[in-house]
Amino acid sequence: MLALQLLVNGVLLGGLYVLVAQSLNLIFGVMGVVNLAHGAVIALAGLFTYWFTAQTGASPLLAVPIAFVAAALAGAVGQRLLIEPVMRAGGSKSELLSLIVTFGLSYILIELALQLFGADFVSVPYLQSSWTLGSLAFGKALVVAGAFAAGMSALLYLWLNHTMSGKALLAASQSPTGAICCGIDVARVRVTAFAIGVGLAAAAGALVIVIMPVAPQTAADLNLLAFVIIALGGLGDYVGVAIAAVLLGIAQSVAGYYLGGNAEYVLPYVLLLAVMVALPGRFRRVR
Amino acid sequence: MSAALSLSGVVAGIGPLTILQGVDLEVGEGEVVVVLGANGAGKTTLLRTIAGLLAPRAGSIRLRGEEIAGRPAHRITRAGIGHVPSGRELFPRLSVGDHLELGGQVCAPARRAELRASVLEMFPVLAERLGQRAGTLSGGEQQMVAIARALMTDPRVLLLDEPSTGLAPRIVLSVFQTFPALRKQGVSILLAEQSLTLGLSAADRAYVMDHGRMVLSGTAAELAGDKRVADTYLGR
Repeated sequence: MLALQLLVNGVLLGGLYVLVAQSLNLIFGVMGVVNLAHGAVIALAGLFTYWFTAQTGASPLLAVPIAFVAAALAGAVGQRLLIEPVMRAGGSKSELLSLIVTFGLSYILIELALQLFGADFVSVPYLQSSWTLGSLAFGKALVVAGAFAAGMSALLYLWLNHTMSGKALLAASQSPTGAICCGIDVARVRVTAFAIGVGLAAAAGALVIVIMPVAPQTAADLNLLAFVIIALGGLGDYVGVAIAAVLLGIAQSVAGYYLGGNAEYVLPYVLLLAVMVALPGRFRRVR
Repeated sequence: MSAALSLSGVVAGIGPLTILQGVDLEVGEGEVVVVLGANGAGKTTLLRTIAGLLAPRAGSIRLRGEEIAGRPAHRITRAGIGHVPSGRELFPRLSVGDHLELGGQVCAPARRAELRASVLEMFPVLAERLGQRAGTLSGGEQQMVAIARALMTDPRVLLLDEPSTGLAPRIVLSVFQTFPALRKQGVSILLAEQSLTLGLSAADRAYVMDHGRMVLSGTAAELAGDKRVADTYLGR
């Protein structure tokens, strides 16, 4: 029974991780932008959600669409004014350049979060009871956040694979020249991908804070988490990343129970090192 | 009546390099024209410039009399230039059917259905591969997908960049055998080809390109008997 409980908790946590990673996957896999500001966006959105719920008393779920829209707009502007010019000037070094630019951007965002919300860890009290099924207990907040996040990831997947605009995005990532040969406006597709990626990261942030405390410095951990999942699942591989996210959720839930909270915290770092040593080609884009 | 495609004095290059040194060229309505030239003569640059992937630095490119030089590449596709680029530039993880859909999205639904039917009639093997990922196809099938994708954009002029590369002669011939049907549909063809015999066998007229300039032109029959053509290739 204990094993089952750990499994369920892990899967729910994994549902949230899918969204954390998939939004990065979109930006990294589709556009070749190594977005180190990803974790900062998630943390900032989480802290915004804390402020928003404290001010209005509204459900944190209401903060999800607000964070999504605001971040997507900011992402679109940032992509046009900052990322795209850098990527265009960078040529073959554009991925490295994007890493440096977004690294700087992440510091700006973290500093902004410190100024706006302070340095403390905060959390949003939301649905703090549990549903029970036999001897299993499901934390309501974890169920809602995990299901909501997994649902958004599923929508992203359906959009990419079953609509023309989504396929145009995949096409532009697999061959920009080929996409142009189809009459696709690749520049517009890239703005859309970036905006949606940043928006989804913010949506993930609004859900993360429901189940774990967040502070501006959480940004680094969230970055690492997302990169580990993408490395495990395969860059640009949406199904692989979803599976990796759930497996990491389960691994963390099991490690946290048997080895304690520190092990749970260290696990992504250990996995990242293991992946980089065992599968050094994992960060290459899937072609 | 204006030509399907006409270039005059087109200069283009990559970075500090000037590759096209003032190119004049004309493709009549329904005509198949081949640009012959050795590796590095500038054939791919020429096609990429017409398609808008490279902006010309000077000169004019007219599609049925309408100036298209300097427009964004995706607009040029929409204006009626179909491009089968070198290296094919397929989407390896998307299906054959997706390639046709993506190419066809520039057309109205009714026209898209017509084009799809005619493309699948032209390449029946693709009808059996609609659900298969492009990256898993053979070289010949990939070339057909690249051509089919370009045809789905309903082009007036089709640019084919060395479709023979890496293909068995039998398959190249089957690709070239589609030209009469395309011509009948009002599609004019500009083919870049390294192989003299292959290129001349498929075309009405030919240009010979060397160091970014057109050095010879004439009907395919004229050039087939002209020993200056071979001399250009050998650099004499």
